Amino acid sequence: MDDTLKTCLILIPALPLGAAGLVAAVGPRLLRSHSHWPLIAALLGSLLGSLIVVREVAQGQAAARGPYEQIVTLWTWADVPEALAARDTTLPADQTAVRPDTPDALPFRIEVTLRADALTALMLATVTFIALLVALYSVGYMAGDPGYWRYYSYLGLFVFSMTMLVSVSNFVLLFVFWEAVGVCSYLLIGFWYRKPEAAAAGKKAFLVNRVGDFGFTAALLLLWTTYGTLDYHDRPAESPAPATADAADGAAAAADRVLGILSPSRIASEGYATGGLATAICLLLLLGACGKSAQLPLHVWLPDAMEGPTPVSALIHAATMVTAGVYMVARCAPLFAVSPTAQMVVACVGGSTALLAALIALTQFDLKRVLAYSTISQLGYMFLALGTGTFSGVTGSMYHLFTHAFFKALLFLGAGSVMHAMGGVIDMRQIGGLARLMPWTHATFLVGCLALAGVFPLAGFWSKDTVLAAVHDRLHQVEHVRQLRTDHSDHSGKTALYVASGHAAGPLAAWDTADLARAERVYRWLYQAALLTALLTALYTFRAYCLTFHGPLQVPPQAGHHAHESPPVMVWPLAILAVGSVLVGLVCLSDPSNWGANRLVDFLGGTPSLATGALAATRVEPEFHLPVAGASTLVALIGIGVALYLFLGEARQAEALRRLADLEGIQAWTDPQWVVRLERIGVIALGVGWLRRVGLGWLVTLVGYLLGVVALVLAIPLLVASWVTPYRLSRDKFYIDELYQMLIVWPLRGLAAVCAWLDQRLIDGLVDAVGRVPAAVGHILRSLQMGLVQFYALAMVLGTLILLAARLLWGPA
Amino acid sequence: MNELSLLANSLWVGGALVALGMVGLVLRRNLIVMFLCAEMMLQGVSLSLVAFGRYHGGLGRADAWDGQMLVLFILTVAACEAAIALALVLMLARRTGRLDAAAWQDLREEGQPAYVDRQLPEQPAWEPHWPHLTPAGVRPSGPAEVQRFRERV
Repeated sequence: MDDTLKTCLILIPALPLGAAGLVAAVGPRLLRSHSHWPLIAALLGSLLGSLIVVREVAQGQAAARGPYEQIVTLWTWADVPEALAARDTTLPADQTAVRPDTPDALPFRIEVTLRADALTALMLATVTFIALLVALYSVGYMAGDPGYWRYYSYLGLFVFSMTMLVSVSNFVLLFVFWEAVGVCSYLLIGFWYRKPEAAAAGKKAFLVNRVGDFGFTAALLLLWTTYGTLDYHDRPAESPAPATADAADGAAAAADRVLGILSPSRIASEGYATGGLATAICLLLLLGACGKSAQLPLHVWLPDAMEGPTPVSALIHAATMVTAGVYMVARCAPLFAVSPTAQMVVACVGGSTALLAALIALTQFDLKRVLAYSTISQLGYMFLALGTGTFSGVTGSMYHLFTHAFFKALLFLGAGSVMHAMGGVIDMRQIGGLARLMPWTHATFLVGCLALAGVFPLAGFWSKDTVLAAVHDRLHQVEHVRQLRTDHSDHSGKTALYVASGHAAGPLAAWDTADLARAERVYRWLYQAALLTALLTALYTFRAYCLTFHGPLQVPPQAGHHAHESPPVMVWPLAILAVGSVLVGLVCLSDPSNWGANRLVDFLGGTPSLATGALAATRVEPEFHLPVAGASTLVALIGIGVALYLFLGEARQAEALRRLADLEGIQAWTDPQWVVRLERIGVIALGVGWLRRVGLGWLVTLVGYLLGVVALVLAIPLLVASWVTPYRLSRDKFYIDELYQMLIVWPLRGLAAVCAWLDQRLIDGLVDAVGRVPAAVGHILRSLQMGLVQFYALAMVLGTLILLAARLLWGPA
Repeated sequence: MNELSLLANSLWVGGALVALGMVGLVLRRNLIVMFLCAEMMLQGVSLSLVAFGRYHGGLGRADAWDGQMLVLFILTVAACEAAIALALVLMLARRTGRLDAAAWQDLREEGQPAYVDRQLPEQPAWEPHWPHLTPAGVRPSGPAEVQRFRERV
């Protein structure tokens, strides 16, 4: 256990936590407008630590020539030896290998462990780097805000939670920090809590995340009952297992270790539950990831989260927190590898989200909302790549995560710079032509847009190409297996080829031919959707760029004297991120002759969970897919070209396109008057006139009425379409928010009203009634006090008589 | 042993005194009379005590004065209590000028109705309606008013 590594792993989260605590304690009184110093110092330390971790892991991987991980155990949080006593009957008998320890009782043991492997190192470096730049930027952006110290305290808390999330080696701790980043997101989105929209947005973000967390919790339970442990790594057992027959016939399970869920030992021994249980676990984990990473159908919180300060959007909702879901699915790649169905669901969710978000971003006029939907769309790309289930897919998605952090943070910070200069206005209809006014912001924003659109040789090109190539490869793999299977079942002598290619026993072996055909269709659709999304990405990105930075100069009155370039403390992070967006893709190329070889992918390949098993078996020699790259560059250029044509200069053509998409004038077609006008057309007029002369005028009228009825029937879909035009669908976010309002919010409000009524009338009424009883009793007893002495004497006499009677009747004889 | 019938008779008398006293205490409104009835109850109880003393005797001896001795003490205490009670009655009577227990019914709880004595219906003034009899005998001599009224008979 390397001491440097252990110290770094502990310091990286501890420093921001300490800074957050310090700022919270002395910020309001002492530090005030200097509250940023503790956090910037802490983040510098964390960044240094992350870089050291990266170097150590790389060296460890080189030394071990293979997967490398280090585990640091801090303390034991929970230890219940026999938490679940009954034998779990959901596993079939042949899967005892899955849980090699005592089958009679499941222990519940959570140790606070941190891990250092390639995946963690990459995430740590990304998080701390972007966080440092955002903290620097916020010095300028949040200057003068009364809650300055509170902002930095929350920011420190967030960085602590995020770094711990990627460092822990245990599912329960992952969940703890999952929730922690959700809390920090809520605090930061609702930072200006006196603004009702911000408070509502924070609440919405947290509640939607909670829905995902419900899935995550269910997955945690299933994982524990299936595997008996919740660690990623192997752990020595506390008491050696007795040499019973159960332990003896467990496959490859050492009796002195508890296998972690994602450890290489378990992957090598294939100790995973398969079938419905595996799919259930994976789908529930996906639900959690959808909540956190804003995928369909839980994406609704991210556009609203733009109510928070822009640096927060850059850090949390572009580069770090929303990538927690991607990280989690990448980390659990071995679990997903045993369930191809779940992988396909992941890919479908990612692909459809990417397309949907890109369609919505086309018509938004709020620059931050465009970027928010762009984030959702790019996260969809990452999930699409994860859903391919191949080594290149998983690593490609992490590569895209890495580059996306750069250019998306750049774009958000640029939008923040614009917003700062325009006095808080970010509506693109009210601002325009800022290229001359803010040159640095303009240049860096342009670089970010080019990177997002995926133009060679910026970072976005390489990572997007990897994603598309992974989907393409998966499509071909499924096709290949299906063809082989068909040939194999045709007994045409290709049995040896089928078996030799390993597909007879791979995860795809569980699927029959119909399933494979369906998978092939799905992946083909996903590939085409991904290409279309790339086109739309370029389109809406450059639309936003043109509307903001080109055209006539338009500065809103709220800008006042702010309308100038941002101060250097805000421009330097933009410049650094711009340089990063340009170079990071090129830097990762390890072989000039083979553009497919990638340093980052090789680095990630050293992660233990990705280096063995079915996932590693799909690793092929890296090659650069020229057709895919060509297609993506072509669509990007088409998108950029169309956007520039429509939005540069006068927006006449864009306006015409909008009118077309809004189906203007369609209502004119619903008017059945055209039946009458039909009569006057030459040939028909002759025919009608002849019929009338002959005396069959009633036939003409009848036909006229029938045509009118047909016209009215045809008018209904046209009318519906005129209300829900494609333009409006896109602008109003496909009415998903309204759908949720109707299906979920309104019934819950009704339920809450009913409960309130029950509480106020029934329960409070009961309590009040109990309270009124003594008063009633008193009212009755008061009538005994008449003020007449004889009545008192009578009462005394009666009492004596009653006692006497009682003594005589019920006393001893 | 003493005869049970003697005891029984004494107890009947004592019980009768208690009962009469109880009835009087409940029914009378005059404070002094109510006190008298309470004293009568006390005397009834003392009589029963004397009777029980004679009956159960004192440790087997024929002549036992335990009960009567106790009654003497009780009478002493009753006298003290009577002094206090009559002093209280005097003060109560001085405050309202009446010896009626119902004069103090304003000490009742709020909201309770007052006890109002039943008023006798208004009696119309009675006109003497003497019969007119034919005079009989000899008219006595003397002034007319003396004939109608004689001071002394």
